[in-house]
Amino acid sequence: MKGCLSPDRIFLYLEGQVAPGERRACEEHLGRCPDCRAAFEERRLLHEAFSSLPPLEVPPNFARSVMAGIPENAGTVWRRIAAVAAAALALASGLLGFHLLTGKNLAGVLLSPSRALGAGLGDLLPLLAKVLKSAGLALELLYGLLSSLAGGLGALSSVARPEFAALMLGLGLVLTGLLLFGAKKLLSVGERS
Amino acid sequence: MTEDTKLVERALKGDRKAFEMIVLRYQQPLLNYLGRTTGERETALDFAQDIFLKAYSSLGSYRPTWKFSTWLFTIASNHMIDHWRKKKLPLVSLDQPVDAGDGSLTPQVPDPGPSVVRKLELTEMRSRIERALESVPGPLRELFVLRHVNEFSYEEIADIKGLPVGTVKNRVFQAKEMLRRRMGEP
Repeated sequence: MKGCLSPDRIFLYLEGQVAPGERRACEEHLGRCPDCRAAFEERRLLHEAFSSLPPLEVPPNFARSVMAGIPENAGTVWRRIAAVAAAALALASGLLGFHLLTGKNLAGVLLSPSRALGAGLGDLLPLLAKVLKSAGLALELLYGLLSSLAGGLGALSSVARPEFAALMLGLGLVLTGLLLFGAKKLLSVGERS
Repeated sequence: MTEDTKLVERALKGDRKAFEMIVLRYQQPLLNYLGRTTGERETALDFAQDIFLKAYSSLGSYRPTWKFSTWLFTIASNHMIDHWRKKKLPLVSLDQPVDAGDGSLTPQVPDPGPSVVRKLELTEMRSRIERALESVPGPLRELFVLRHVNEFSYEEIADIKGLPVGTVKNRVFQAKEMLRRRMGEP
């Protein structure tokens, strides 16, 4: 029959791939041509089967197994390496720039505070030793003085009158002053030795 | 911006969960395509894994103006071509007419003979289609699968394969007619 539908046109019709005008012409022809109608019906069933093939089963852990094959944070590792490299480059540039601008070695400049601290401690420790030594001597003298004073006062109060005791106490204080002065002299002798 | 494009952006920033979402979205269609195209489930699973890894390492080359599914299936299609080349399977030129050995596959009038499928139930028809697909040359089978299993438009398939839309339509039709004939064989 004139104007019979070719199989490719039938399939395109079934897929909705023909223009509206052509679609109407196809339908009119199918209405009057039994051969085309039979061919159309067969391909309609085929088309239905083609388009409804069941999906294949995906294993439950498939996505996880795919992710296991991807290097852990590959991008992040590279970014970290790049950051460390950039930091190292910046430090090297800074050292070079400092050296070029000042003519000094930055490492030497960075080490000087620790050297100064070491030197300060070296001066401080002998001074601390002298203070401790002087304090020891002073305590020894003070103990001797107090012991003598207590003994003297005890003896004096038992044999003399109060006026005489007061005089003796005044003389004792003067003597104490002289002893402290003597201690200062002794300290200066210790410094020289 | 599509959901796929957002996921790609996040994956590019090192968000592995975003790429896992992409895998979950596309594992089913990709496995359907690979399973029907290779005819071997285990091979299809291996290929799907390889293709996702390729996609991950190539994410930087993806452009948001492209449809992600088209981009992913282009990688998959190239993977299949490599596979056929390695196996030295006969590659059919998609620019030349296909001769299946039983005459032209582009009849201009309907076949007036007895119907091949009329009496088959739909389930039986699907089963026969699966078997018949294995005898269809790989490149034609691939186009058929992209159209009828993955439901890409002819224009999208043309993008994936880098072919004119008319050629794609013609080859999909040839695959369908080849299947129809094979299904009728005992």
